[in-house]
Amino acid sequence: MTLLIGATTIGLILALLAMGVYLSFRIFNFPDITADGSITLGAAVTAILLVHHVSPGLATLAGFAAGALAGMTTGILHTKFKINGLLSGILVMTALYSVNLHVMSKSNVPLLNEATLVSQAETLGMTWFQVAAGSDLNVLGWSVGLRDAATLLAMLLLVGFLGLLLYLFFRTNLGTAMRATGDNPQMIRALGVSVDFIIILGLALSNGLIALSGSLLAQYQGFADVQMGIGMVVWGLASVIIGEALVGSSRIGLLITGAVIGSVLFRLLVAIALRWGLNPNDLKLITAGFVFVALVAPSLLRKLKPAAKPESSKA
Amino acid sequence: MLTISNITKTFNPGTPNEVRALRDVSLRLEAGSFLIIIGTNGSGKSTLLNAVAGSFLPDFGTLTLAGQNITFWTEHRRAKLIGRVFQNPFSGTAPTMSIAENLAMAAMRGQPRGLGWALNHKLKAELRDRIRSLNMGLENRIDNAIGSLSGGQRQALTLLMASWLKPDLLLLDEHTAALDPKSADQVIRLTHDIIQRDKLTTLMVTHSMQQAVHLGDRIVMMHRGEVLHDLQGAERARVRPEDLLKRFEDVRRREQLDPTVAEMLQKNYI
Ligand SMILES: Nc1ncnc2c1ncn2[C@@H]1O[C@H](COP(=O)(O)OP(=O)(O)OP(=O)(O)O)[C@@H](O)[C@H]1O
Ligand SMILES: [Mg+2]
Repeated sequence: MTLLIGATTIGLILALLAMGVYLSFRIFNFPDITADGSITLGAAVTAILLVHHVSPGLATLAGFAAGALAGMTTGILHTKFKINGLLSGILVMTALYSVNLHVMSKSNVPLLNEATLVSQAETLGMTWFQVAAGSDLNVLGWSVGLRDAATLLAMLLLVGFLGLLLYLFFRTNLGTAMRATGDNPQMIRALGVSVDFIIILGLALSNGLIALSGSLLAQYQGFADVQMGIGMVVWGLASVIIGEALVGSSRIGLLITGAVIGSVLFRLLVAIALRWGLNPNDLKLITAGFVFVALVAPSLLRKLKPAAKPESSKA
Repeated sequence: MLTISNITKTFNPGTPNEVRALRDVSLRLEAGSFLIIIGTNGSGKSTLLNAVAGSFLPDFGTLTLAGQNITFWTEHRRAKLIGRVFQNPFSGTAPTMSIAENLAMAAMRGQPRGLGWALNHKLKAELRDRIRSLNMGLENRIDNAIGSLSGGQRQALTLLMASWLKPDLLLLDEHTAALDPKSADQVIRLTHDIIQRDKLTTLMVTHSMQQAVHLGDRIVMMHRGEVLHDLQGAERARVRPEDLLKRFEDVRRREQLDPTVAEMLQKNYI
């Protein structure tokens, strides 16, 4: 049970990563891999601020802002210096590796006794459920640790709130202009919108969300590590793809919900697979393989269909 | 009023692919006038419209519109003054977004976009009214993705979008060329109605001599990046489609002459 709750919580935290990836890859059609660096940046900035006793809320916001700055940089490289989108992301991601080491001044920052959003959620849970720290709760017959339950609930609320905010944003004038920029830049330019500005803003928002995901992850697992971002874009993409398959619709609200569910589901699947003896070293390989299959399967199926027709007519 | 002064544009200068697309083009368009541009393929009609819209900076020359020098304005800044319909019906609308959302974006043309709702009941009611005037039955489908519509329907909506906020200049680049004859007629009638009603200053490119003669109050024929003929006033009033075709024929005859002359010169002198 603790395993499932832990996996769900991480899945929810990484849902913010999935939302960010959805924004860049799907809304903009921009293959932004800054994410690998910005998720670590969010974790690093928050962790170092927490170690210096900055309030958790502020430290988390700073993580978001740092990620937004990284995204802006990628956007500026792409729009103002006309560097290919993929390459812009690679450049910023590579630079961020050094930046992250500088921010943390070592490769790993543990958060042992610092106040974090997670410890605050636990404290809130204590007053809410009227129990002592470290005790177990009885939820529908299951015994659940207070910290686990409180964190899960807090993340559920936070991610739900941010998902709703993102959905509402896409219905504003600015948000519709952003969607149109991905859909048809020529059209939105002819309607007076600076496509460059929108791309920079959108990548800032996307990487801000991704860094926020990293910030929460660091607070949940109790450390920030310079390696924690490796392969995260692919992870986010896998979640988005699962979400799209689940909701099977192009409505934006459903797709955001899908990304959240996809992220949780993917994390649960991984947790179960690891429990069954999957070698953790193979995780990235399998994730990449999964995304590969999800990317080629639709066009492969289309190719197979016409090929199957003449055969059936022969029979 | 639009003034195009000595606009020159050469693509890929200094390379074997060099194209002198516009050579010292000057035109003055009074407010409320409707100019039709005709000319052979590659004569620079689209390039002229793109230069006015700001898709690129000209090598030389100035542009003024509504009393402002817009020569160095970015394309999106010019959009405040200019409404545009492209040849390709896919170019003017965002396909995965709804009809209502597309029109709502057009209702904000050239204005700063903030966090206000893109759609509200009042706007939706107005959208529905204006879409109803197209007589295409689209007013009941405003929440459908615009990509699900036919080319003619999309072009009609693009026209509605381009003219939603009365633009100081309307640019139409062969906006019916990709449509079947019936849809093209429908869109042309709509074009005529909108321009008449709002007295829009318009630059329209077409390959249809019928359209050239029946729409607009002035005809410019371009050739090799230059203005070859400029028919106005009485001369314009007299012109028939056959006359225009004859002018195309003249151009072609001259074109055919050119290579033979070049060949002869080459034989004699090289
Ligand atoms: N972006 C560009 N780069 C290079 N050459 C270009 C570019 N745009 C136009 N040209 C060239 O400039 C010339 C004029 O093209 P333009 O599109 O203006 O012709 P047009 O009169 O609109 O022709 P059509 O009737 O076929 O639409 C052509 O030779 C074309 O190949
Ligand atoms: Mg053209």
